[in-house]
Amino acid sequence: MDYAATTPVDPRVAEKMAACLTLEGNFANPASTHGPGRAARASVETARAQVAALVDAEPGEIVFTSGATESDNLAVKGVAHFHRDRGKHIITSRIEHKAVLDAAKQLEREGFEVTWLKPDADGLIQPERVKAALRPDTTLVSIMHANNEIGTVNDIAAIGSLVRAHGAVFHVDAAQSAGKIPIDLKRLDVGLMSFAAHKVYGPKGIGALYVRREPKVNLEPLIHGGGHERGLRSGTLATHQIVGMGEAFRLAKEHLAEEGRRIGALRNRLWTGLKAAIPGVLLNGHPTQHIPGVINLSFPGVEGESLLYACQELAVSSGSACNAADQEPSYVLRALGRDDQLAGSSLRFSLGRFTTEAEVDQAVAMVAREYQRLKALAA
Amino acid sequence: MSIYLDHNATTPLDPRVLAAMQPWLAGTHGNPASVHRYGRAAHEALEAARRQVAALVNAKASQVVFTGGGTEADNLALKGVCNGAPRGRLLVGAVEHSAVLGPAEALAKQGWKVASIPVDGEGRYDLAALDDLLKANDVRLVSAMLANNETGVIQDIPAVAKRVQAAGALLHCDAVQAAGKLPLDFTALGADLMTLSAHKINGPRGVGALIMDRRVDLVPLVHGGGQEQGLRGGTEDLAGIVGFGRGAELAQAELPERVTHARKLRDAMEAEVKRLPGVRVFSAGAERLNNTLQFGIAGLDGEWLVMELDKRGIAVSSGSACHSGSGEPSHVLTAMGLEPAVAKGALRVSFGVGNTEADVAAAAAALRDIVAGAGKRVAAVGW
Amino acid sequence: MEYSEAVLAHFRAPKNAGEFPAGTRGVLLGQAGTKKRGREIHLELKLGADGRIEGCRYRIYGCPATVALCSLLSERLPGLLPAEALTMSGLKLAAELGLPPPKRDAALLLEDALRDALKGYNMTESREAI
Repeated sequence: MDYAATTPVDPRVAEKMAACLTLEGNFANPASTHGPGRAARASVETARAQVAALVDAEPGEIVFTSGATESDNLAVKGVAHFHRDRGKHIITSRIEHKAVLDAAKQLEREGFEVTWLKPDADGLIQPERVKAALRPDTTLVSIMHANNEIGTVNDIAAIGSLVRAHGAVFHVDAAQSAGKIPIDLKRLDVGLMSFAAHKVYGPKGIGALYVRREPKVNLEPLIHGGGHERGLRSGTLATHQIVGMGEAFRLAKEHLAEEGRRIGALRNRLWTGLKAAIPGVLLNGHPTQHIPGVINLSFPGVEGESLLYACQELAVSSGSACNAADQEPSYVLRALGRDDQLAGSSLRFSLGRFTTEAEVDQAVAMVAREYQRLKALAA
Repeated sequence: MSIYLDHNATTPLDPRVLAAMQPWLAGTHGNPASVHRYGRAAHEALEAARRQVAALVNAKASQVVFTGGGTEADNLALKGVCNGAPRGRLLVGAVEHSAVLGPAEALAKQGWKVASIPVDGEGRYDLAALDDLLKANDVRLVSAMLANNETGVIQDIPAVAKRVQAAGALLHCDAVQAAGKLPLDFTALGADLMTLSAHKINGPRGVGALIMDRRVDLVPLVHGGGQEQGLRGGTEDLAGIVGFGRGAELAQAELPERVTHARKLRDAMEAEVKRLPGVRVFSAGAERLNNTLQFGIAGLDGEWLVMELDKRGIAVSSGSACHSGSGEPSHVLTAMGLEPAVAKGALRVSFGVGNTEADVAAAAAALRDIVAGAGKRVAAVGW
Repeated sequence: MEYSEAVLAHFRAPKNAGEFPAGTRGVLLGQAGTKKRGREIHLELKLGADGRIEGCRYRIYGCPATVALCSLLSERLPGLLPAEALTMSGLKLAAELGLPPPKRDAALLLEDALRDALKGYNMTESREAI
């Protein structure tokens, strides 16, 4: 039950990818002008259109990268560097994904100034705080759509509007939200948006960056070379990866509404079950403004690492999957104001396309059991 | 019928490589960075692949940094070194791939002095000119490729390394095209950084590596997540990396046979090609990769020849795939002193795993056919 | 954090966890650490008529490493004289469990709890629990 960290590849996606990997398959370099090259190129362009369709963008606005991490780096550094003569101030939040945080920290080392916005107690970045932080020399605002730790969803429509009024570029890391909640880039004032295939039942190692054309967003490339992807991202394209991402996004669009309902119901089942079994359990994040599948809970009175291990141990042997928090405890929760014990004893559950009711019930039983055991162990 | 003679652009995936990748394509493995059992298996697979790639180039596993491809590795090498060093001078070969020239140009825009290492008429680095360029006291990095993707020319990197070391600068060697065609020894080569790419050795696209002496100070290109010991963040394409490792293992084990096989085919092709009127083989006098043949036919446009061969089911290229269809003469041939008219006639045939003598025969026949049909367009022999 | 099978075995089924029944004679109490800091150990050592440690119980709030250390300690102490227990090396126990370096603090905290239980204990006479 750790779909927020990564998702298994949907069998339908794997099948499409396999077709590109066989000896007879679609293996040529999409940049080559011969027949096999053109066939590869056609597959790439089909996939590009599929990615664009999920978020109502134009295919020409989608740039393929090696993942959301690279997309974040390209967006943040690319805009900051391009506009360095206009201004050197950047706004982001303390709870962004590591890729955005570390890219911004690198910019600080280069002499840029970064304002790190704090989330409110529910984990949301309030538009007013963005507005208050904007300065004449601000060139970039980067705020994630859905937070991977707590699942909360920021109001990027509102933030986008006020950033647009200011004139800075607005970048949104949508790795966690794309395919889970609707995104309509025709209506949102977003300049750049990062995507990861492996969060939407696609393969690891491929992602994309949406780069708005109207009005045009300018940025310096991260990887220079043969001029691929409109010059924004050079490097020979991995056809099988791109085809996989395209198919994953196509399926996500198809299943978005129905999956959202089903997964939301499972999340409720989990929350209700755990609240009943462990009355002191605390919800981290906003109670309603979140993506359907993620719920992050803190357990007072037990040590976090032990709770995590207890759940994982049983999880692996019983076949159901409790959370694995592979990040250190948890800068996100600390930013919400949780003390060390609560931040350390948090478990993130993320449910997905293949989660069943039985698995949810198993998880409730297991967590409740281990919680009681550890509580009894302590003084 | 489809005959693929463009292995320098990309190579088909070896079925054994695909088999190695298979278990990881489903993505059910955990993150190699994570704590639990699934993560540990992934971590072990990642490190095994690292050792395999290291073995291909006689480097230590700790010297291998996986990236999203050869282009990214070249960018990481050049920008990684220069962004962490006091601004100065960067020397790049005149025949380098755009993946090296691109970052060099970007650095030039940031105030770096970028100078080109000229080549002779055969495409070999002019070492005397290099000596001159190294006299400047602010050369920080030199980038010189081991084997050229268009002409196949193999450079004398040890000679370059000696000079670069004496000048106190670092040496980056793009070995993307050489891997799998030559025995590589990073330790003996004398370079501080070396680039490799999986899809040139029958591995998947989207994975590459920067082999580096860990004492080199490198500013990462992709931050976040701490992967590759902080040098390259981002969730790994584990299936791709495992494929890269297996491809490297096979390239290492089968190198002698592959070299012999490709050379036989290339030499046969060259003999056939030389029988055509007005033919000139580029870099014929230099040491070349076993599999590469670049030539021109007087009066005929290279891109046009590519298209004509494509119509007959034969895939080749004119110059670098990255610049196909751009209409510009190859910068490699231009640097060799060839006139634009000659350079634009260039056609590159590159052999690899899976090619046969029948392929050579078919390609030769097709060329004869095309040339005959274009009869009146062929000028008198004599360049 | 990667743990050995030994650690995980103790963690899944900790030996001798709990307390001696209230009113039991000859029990020494010691504690170290606070929940706030992430580790809290309460030790109880029961002395036998022969002056040797007869049993050890504990309450533990802490990570799997700390749980495992307490469990292992509880198996090692019975039969020892208090003076011998005082020389027990937490780091040796940690090494035996294959604990990684970042977890060595747990071993030192264990020694603190042990020393707390044995502090002021006059090695020549027995004492009764309060």
